[in-house]
Amino acid sequence: MKKINIGLFGRYFLKNVMQTKVVYVLWGIFTLLTVYAAVSGIHNYEEQNTIRKEHQRKARQSWEANPDKHPHRMAHFGSFAFRLKQPLSMFDYGIESFTGNAIFLEAHRQNSVNFSDAGFSTGTLRFGELSMAMLLQLVLPLILFFLGFSTIASEKENGTLKILLSQGAGWKEILLGKSLGLFALALLFCTPIALITLFFLFFSETPMDPYDTWGRFLWLLGGYLLFLWILSVMSITVSATARSSKNALLTLLGIWLLMVVLVPKTAQAIGNAVYPTPSKLSFQSAVERDVIKKGDSHDPNDPYFNKLKDSVLAVHKVDSVTQLPFNYGGFVMREGEKTSANLYGKHHDSLLHIYEKQNDLSHYVSVLNPFLAIKTLSMAFAGTDFKGYVDFQRQAETYRYQLAQEMNTLQMDYISTKKISGSEGKQHVVGHEHWEEFPDFNHRALPLQSAFQSTYLALLSLLGWGVFSILGLGYLSKKAKAI
Amino acid sequence: MYRLLFLQFLRSKAVRAGLLLTLLLGGISIGIGHQFLDQKNAAIDEVERYQKQHIERNVELHKDDLGLLMYYLKFAFVNSPASLAGLSVGQSDINPIIQRITIKNLEGQRYDTDLVNPMNLQSGNLDLSFVLIYLFPLLVIVFTFNLLSEETETGTWRLVAVQAPSKRKYLLTKLSVRAVLVYAVLGILLIAAKIVLSIPLDVNFMMVVLLSIVYIAFWFGVCFFVTAFNKGSHFNALLLLSTWLGLLMLLPAGINAYITNRYPIPEALTTMISQRDGYHTKWDMDKTETLKKFYGHYPQFETFGYPTEGFNWTWYYAMQQMGDDDARKDTEALWQKIRKRESVSKRVSAFLPNMHLQLAFNGLAGTGLGEQLDFLEATNAFHEELRLFFYPMVFKEVSGNRVDWTKFTPKYWSQNTEGENPIRYLWPLLSAAFIVMLGCAVVFKRWY
Repeated sequence: MKKINIGLFGRYFLKNVMQTKVVYVLWGIFTLLTVYAAVSGIHNYEEQNTIRKEHQRKARQSWEANPDKHPHRMAHFGSFAFRLKQPLSMFDYGIESFTGNAIFLEAHRQNSVNFSDAGFSTGTLRFGELSMAMLLQLVLPLILFFLGFSTIASEKENGTLKILLSQGAGWKEILLGKSLGLFALALLFCTPIALITLFFLFFSETPMDPYDTWGRFLWLLGGYLLFLWILSVMSITVSATARSSKNALLTLLGIWLLMVVLVPKTAQAIGNAVYPTPSKLSFQSAVERDVIKKGDSHDPNDPYFNKLKDSVLAVHKVDSVTQLPFNYGGFVMREGEKTSANLYGKHHDSLLHIYEKQNDLSHYVSVLNPFLAIKTLSMAFAGTDFKGYVDFQRQAETYRYQLAQEMNTLQMDYISTKKISGSEGKQHVVGHEHWEEFPDFNHRALPLQSAFQSTYLALLSLLGWGVFSILGLGYLSKKAKAI
Repeated sequence: MYRLLFLQFLRSKAVRAGLLLTLLLGGISIGIGHQFLDQKNAAIDEVERYQKQHIERNVELHKDDLGLLMYYLKFAFVNSPASLAGLSVGQSDINPIIQRITIKNLEGQRYDTDLVNPMNLQSGNLDLSFVLIYLFPLLVIVFTFNLLSEETETGTWRLVAVQAPSKRKYLLTKLSVRAVLVYAVLGILLIAAKIVLSIPLDVNFMMVVLLSIVYIAFWFGVCFFVTAFNKGSHFNALLLLSTWLGLLMLLPAGINAYITNRYPIPEALTTMISQRDGYHTKWDMDKTETLKKFYGHYPQFETFGYPTEGFNWTWYYAMQQMGDDDARKDTEALWQKIRKRESVSKRVSAFLPNMHLQLAFNGLAGTGLGEQLDFLEATNAFHEELRLFFYPMVFKEVSGNRVDWTKFTPKYWSQNTEGENPIRYLWPLLSAAFIVMLGCAVVFKRWY
């Protein structure tokens, strides 16, 4: 195998393609789409984050504006958590349009994350979203298949391949050279996307950890390059093995349809059908049932809380709750919150487990399907995947719990022991300086490392396909026929 | 001759694979639709049972304090899905069909989302509407892209040209073979859906059938138009698949991006905050002031006076009411924005057959955004009714035992479709199909 020949075939392929008008048209269309996707991606990212930060600030302002009052009133006044978009969501929207953006955090109850874009959308959102990632995953493969399908098949048809081979060129050189040529073309198409993303990260005023962000960028870049290489080899291989160039194109289009459109959707739908999501009511009532079983702090005759009272009285050697060194109402609520948050957490975990099972089928399929693998990888490294959303929910719930317990502690410490229930009026209050002391919610993105855990299968798949593509070229070069 | 054309056509591997795949995915999609309806109906049965227990348990605990009882009691309001929803799930996977609300402030309750895995939402439902909108065009493309070119490429076209009495008739006969097969598959799937999902044979279902027929005709037109230019098979395949990609993915996605960016909805978040502040800040304000505002809204209750000493339920529910009342301006702005979004997207989609078809299916099945908004508005009325019923009882401090709780079973809502002629869904699609057919006719006349 001569390196110089590989280069020759690569350059020859490029020259041939560049002589056609169609490649410029395709590049023009693709770049226009890129610009449109980039503008709307960046605009959406900036606008949504401005809106959400503004509302986080507004909500905080009215929290801090509260006068002296009973802490339990503040526990119900509650707070909000607004989910911030990740900077790289300008590149890959992931599931961000389908997850809620805001959640109300108050004592005793876990509210749902509301106001997703999908909820406010007509059916149009379900046709897909135009992001730069979508262009790379959906449109570019089709373009590469189109540019590559005939390269060997047509040389077979017009007989030039025989001449090349008889003049001393090796199959390996031809296959590798053309694959590299097509890969170079692919780079030409995706360079604008890489540059736009690069400039965005460089110049936008997003507070971020540079190590983390650039790490994400590099992994995305590496992942997509590998993906494009796999696509290039795929087209050349099919072109070399097909009986005619027409067959090569039809095979490639079939692969595209199956791997990009049908398989991912069917896999997710089957996962969803096999592990059905419980209804909201059955989820909520299961939590409620467990809480009641353990002890209902709102029931004055609840045996669990009566027993708790007796033991507290015994420990402090007093015979009525008003003699305790702390406010008993706050204590009961603290215990109640602990129980209910714990039980809710358990049920929520099993719900998430069901979701994960639903998603698992897609993960397994991604081992065989590089298109699905790059999709998973892309979302994870852009920070817009399922895991990031679950983490937001977890952060919000943690904050909610802290808020409720902080208010309960304030009640135990500062409210008169005589005031067991009720939170009305100006009599039993805590100074408003405590409200400012409790920090605001601050959504932190998951660190880069966590992306590896959720994508190891996808990473493995892409690497496997990368290795397989090289081996496949080697194998093919021994088996391929010139006619 | 006709039989032979059929047999010849069915010999192609791609054709058989296409038929099989469409039937298979169609079958799966109907199964998924069935499961969807089953789950929703099970949830409705569950809420029937649960509500009874829920009321009994809480009445038992708090019958002496109606104000407290009403703090806990939730009443279900159900948008029970039509069986067509199994065919076109639309937005009903994300928006709950069951609202369970208390008489407290409504704005804090009615936007709660259903339990849903966002990954499923992103990948979209594999319902029959997906198969009809996405896969049938592909089937049509696979069947027709080489309608003429296979003859020229294998050299049989010259034979046909010499032997057939009319080339035009021959091509149209070939086309009709394909059309018969595609419509047969459509028929099988629609009949299967009708039986499995027990869809009644009403106007809405007839519209679904009609719209599907026209939509497929539209695609046959597009394909025939492209093939009639007599370019190579691979050129046709590529051009048609690109058209498919553009119409079914890129254009809708682009339109969606435009709408999302053009009409962001910060009002949703603003409403969320203002309803909270509207209610909660009243705890620190003058009670008489709050009650005055409340009686301003409901003068009929002013007879309950101005109790200001300590905690009382009249004042409490007056505060709750203020959550809604103070947020009214933001709520209205929010609704205006969503309605605006809906109407813009409907108007734009009239120009895109597939988008129009999806919205039409959702509309007919009652699973679109518009229907969800109507349901939310009806929830508003339902909530108001509850309030007006319970407010005087709570203010009078009636015992919980004196209320006839058996009346409070879940209430059902159904879309009021009077005055909306479903035929209106047909026009945009029919015009698109007509334009394409016209194009075909012109090209066809000129070439052959």
